[in-house]
Amino acid sequence: MSGKTLPALGPDTVVRLSRQGGFAALPHLAAPREIDFSACDERQRGQVCSVLERCLPVAERAVGGADQRFFQVELRYHDAGRASEWILTVPEQAAPGELVELWQCGPGER
Amino acid sequence: MTASRTPCGFIPPYLLDHIADRGTDAQRARARGTLQHVRSLLHNPGPPGLKAAPGPAPGLATPGQPQRRIHDAGGRMELPGALRRSEGQGPSGDAAVDEAYEALGATYALFWEVYGRDSIDGRSFPLIGTVHYGQEYENAFWNGEQMVFGDGDGEIFQRFTRSLDVVAHELTHGVIESEAALVYVNQSGALNESLSDVFGVLTKQYRLGQRADEADWLVGAELLTERVQGRALRSMAEPGTAYDDPLLGKDPQPAHMRDFIVTRDDNGGVHLNSGIPNRAFYLAAMAIGGPAWERAGRIWYDTLLDRRLANDADFAAFAALTVRQAQGRFGAGSAEARAVTQAWAEVGVEVTS
Repeated sequence: MSGKTLPALGPDTVVRLSRQGGFAALPHLAAPREIDFSACDERQRGQVCSVLERCLPVAERAVGGADQRFFQVELRYHDAGRASEWILTVPEQAAPGELVELWQCGPGER
Repeated sequence: MTASRTPCGFIPPYLLDHIADRGTDAQRARARGTLQHVRSLLHNPGPPGLKAAPGPAPGLATPGQPQRRIHDAGGRMELPGALRRSEGQGPSGDAAVDEAYEALGATYALFWEVYGRDSIDGRSFPLIGTVHYGQEYENAFWNGEQMVFGDGDGEIFQRFTRSLDVVAHELTHGVIESEAALVYVNQSGALNESLSDVFGVLTKQYRLGQRADEADWLVGAELLTERVQGRALRSMAEPGTAYDDPLLGKDPQPAHMRDFIVTRDDNGGVHLNSGIPNRAFYLAAMAIGGPAWERAGRIWYDTLLDRRLANDADFAAFAALTVRQAQGRFGAGSAEARAVTQAWAEVGVEVTS
């Protein structure tokens, strides 16, 4: 997805991160994490956006084949007042460490 | 901060730099970007040529003789890792290496001895496996060139080479890729997963010499640790009953179309809805009787190779082809054709001719 840019993410954005797929695709292992921008300060939002921007060059559309795991980033936000959704998928092998950290731990403390 | 789990409080240095830049014109410009990437899956162009893998020297490949090479990633996530055992060499002493070697040989034997298929591509494709991949890695996969196996975390999963059917499942993904190339999403993806489970358990049953009614029809029965309340990762006989654990929850696989799961997770639930065609195969095999690899397995294998099977086939399309293959091989009014038709009906898949 090189050359792509993030949509404008306002304070009502919700980010859902999960690890998907794999031979043992148990819902427990997906461990979805939701980050609500309305509960984040500016620094935390910036951190999340920075991680997402770092994912753009390594995101792929067709992922997960033959039990390969991948990270799924789902954004729910408003674009010109209209509810919108944006999904990004990143192969596990290509996932930036910062994305894994964000999925595991969430953004830094306020 | 609202998050579903406890934050660790770690902020990488580059993020601090970035945060310091917040509010610049450039950043605001980036934030205003409106290009929207909505995930759209590419249509699979059909059976691909498998990526080139270094095989035996020309003329040395012998149909009926696997070409196995097992590597050790040493806990790293780099492939293929150090070569530990090549074809014809004795045991290495490393359990994962030797399990992978034996399991790949057993899978090759099923495809060659029962279906006359020479390896993944029908042309002696080398069987390359890497074990000890990553740290506490809870997965096994096929990456288009080779199979990869983690050691598990020791809490929930043991090493993935312990289950013969898991190794065979991954090799079968390679076979599917070189034949129908079923798109790994929604129902075609669930068929892809189901076929891998089918030939995974058939490899185990063939190795053990079990009739259909003697087999456990479990997938990954050797994977879960004693701490987990479960028998396996999946049950083909009774999808949804493989485990029920306080930590993992209950096996979510449906066994019937009325319980089909619509989800955006797991590529549209490919590992969930595979329970439906899995049970159809189990029912057909049980009704036909005898060793499942002989007739039920043959029908499913013929269907996988049937060029009428579209790479985006749904359950109904696949089911219809299994019935046609059964009729073609065993006769229109044969017990096998009737068993296959009835099996799909029992899981709620309507077969139209």
